[in-house]
Amino acid sequence: MAAAESPSTALRRRDLCSRGIRLAGKMRADVVDLLDAYVEQQGLDASASVAAVEGVPLAAVERWDEQTGTQRLLENLAAYRAFRALLAQMLEEQREQLGEADVGLGRALAAVLLQVSAFAYHLEELLRLESRGIPGEEEEEDGPPPPPRLSLFEQKLRGLGVLRELAQWAVRSVRDLRQLTKPSPATGAAPGLAESP
Amino acid sequence: IQYERVGADVTMKCGSMDWDAAVTWTVNGTDIDESHLNGSYLVLKNVGLSQSGQYSCYEGSSWHLKYQTYLRVGTPPKEPVLMCRSNNYPKGFYCSWHLPTPTYINNTFNISVIHGTKDMVCERDAIPKNRCHIRYLQLFSTVKYKVTLTVTNALGKNFTTLTFDEFAIVKPDPPESVVAKPVPNNPRRLEVSWQNPSSWPDPESFPLKFFLRYRPLILDQWQHVELSDGTSHTITDAYAGKEYIIQVAAKDSDIGTWSDWSVAVHATPWTEEPKHLTTEAQITETTSASTSSFMAPPTTKICDKGAVVGS
Repeated sequence: MAAAESPSTALRRRDLCSRGIRLAGKMRADVVDLLDAYVEQQGLDASASVAAVEGVPLAAVERWDEQTGTQRLLENLAAYRAFRALLAQMLEEQREQLGEADVGLGRALAAVLLQVSAFAYHLEELLRLESRGIPGEEEEEDGPPPPPRLSLFEQKLRGLGVLRELAQWAVRSVRDLRQLTKPSPATGAAPGLAESP
Repeated sequence: IQYERVGADVTMKCGSMDWDAAVTWTVNGTDIDESHLNGSYLVLKNVGLSQSGQYSCYEGSSWHLKYQTYLRVGTPPKEPVLMCRSNNYPKGFYCSWHLPTPTYINNTFNISVIHGTKDMVCERDAIPKNRCHIRYLQLFSTVKYKVTLTVTNALGKNFTTLTFDEFAIVKPDPPESVVAKPVPNNPRRLEVSWQNPSSWPDPESFPLKFFLRYRPLILDQWQHVELSDGTSHTITDAYAGKEYIIQVAAKDSDIGTWSDWSVAVHATPWTEEPKHLTTEAQITETTSASTSSFMAPPTTKICDKGAVVGS
């Protein structure tokens, strides 16, 4: 059983979690707006089913309620790092395809990218709070291997898949962070990350 | 059993009897008029629901039973109406269905639920019979659910399909135990409290937000207030002395749609107890009370002493 958390750490954690919940909520709203604009601008069908796109982290999870706090944070962090790279790729492709034709969409994409980066940093802070090493920082410099060159239509579909998953992840993150702030049934105090389901 | 559609023409042979044999036909034990016979065949034109029954044919002289059937007149099923909803997110969701019009004969319903490529079990509820529920195996999925309901009876078959996202069908039940009370010494306040719907399994991890609407009975226009946490609210702009009707609705804080409105509750803000007046004061009181009339929200206090609480 991990040593009980110090009150200051618990307080700091609660503060980080509630700010993270607000950040994720705002991010989700912006991603949903961006998704609508993206679908329209790219001439896609909003109800189109998009097969899982390689490299896009899936928000879907089984036995979500059994995950520990650390698992939640680590999975969130890995996902938002991947989204950071994917959104940067989308932004680049956006500029290549359209140049300055649709500044609005580009700006919205950049804004979401910023929020994703901020949220990833927020998650790292939470992990640091638990004196847990931040995973994969060494690979951070060179980032994930560049995705294969896709056709224009494939790029559009991948973009749709990225934004859809990101919208789901934002909701999942809100739920995950709420779990972290939940008092554990036994002590009533917020459990250390390792224990908190 | 012989099934026939409403409006069909039905011909029944008397078993192995020849066409020209002498026979007697009965329905539910009553002789059928010979006008319905074509030789020994029974001919029923444009059958209606009322012609369902047990039809028997007897050989003329020996009264031997030569043929008997039960005729059930009905209709093939129309496209069923299917609805799926999650009122206990994130545990699962239920689907319920009905036929837009009766068929008057037995129908069999079969439901299939597919999530991506995975077949999911829809566990039938004992009651009501036209409902089953599915447990979420995965949460936060972007893969859509596809539910197909097929209805079959002896006269035909039909089906309907619903495709939806996990979040789209989340709709809590209305809030419960809504209570509204006056606030002593506050003629313009009402205290409203309620509880999360008992069907909502984990309000802590999946908090609900609420929508409160209230109006005086004498007005049609509702006033609304949205509350993102907590299960109580104090109305501070109530019209003094007027009876109010109040309802609450709930929604998951992040996804889905609003619940239906809760049961309506009524309450009237606190009003000052009428003092024991001397006769002279009563007379002046009564004349001023009869001229007072209801006005828009008062910025200055209007004492409506003439009105009797609760009349």
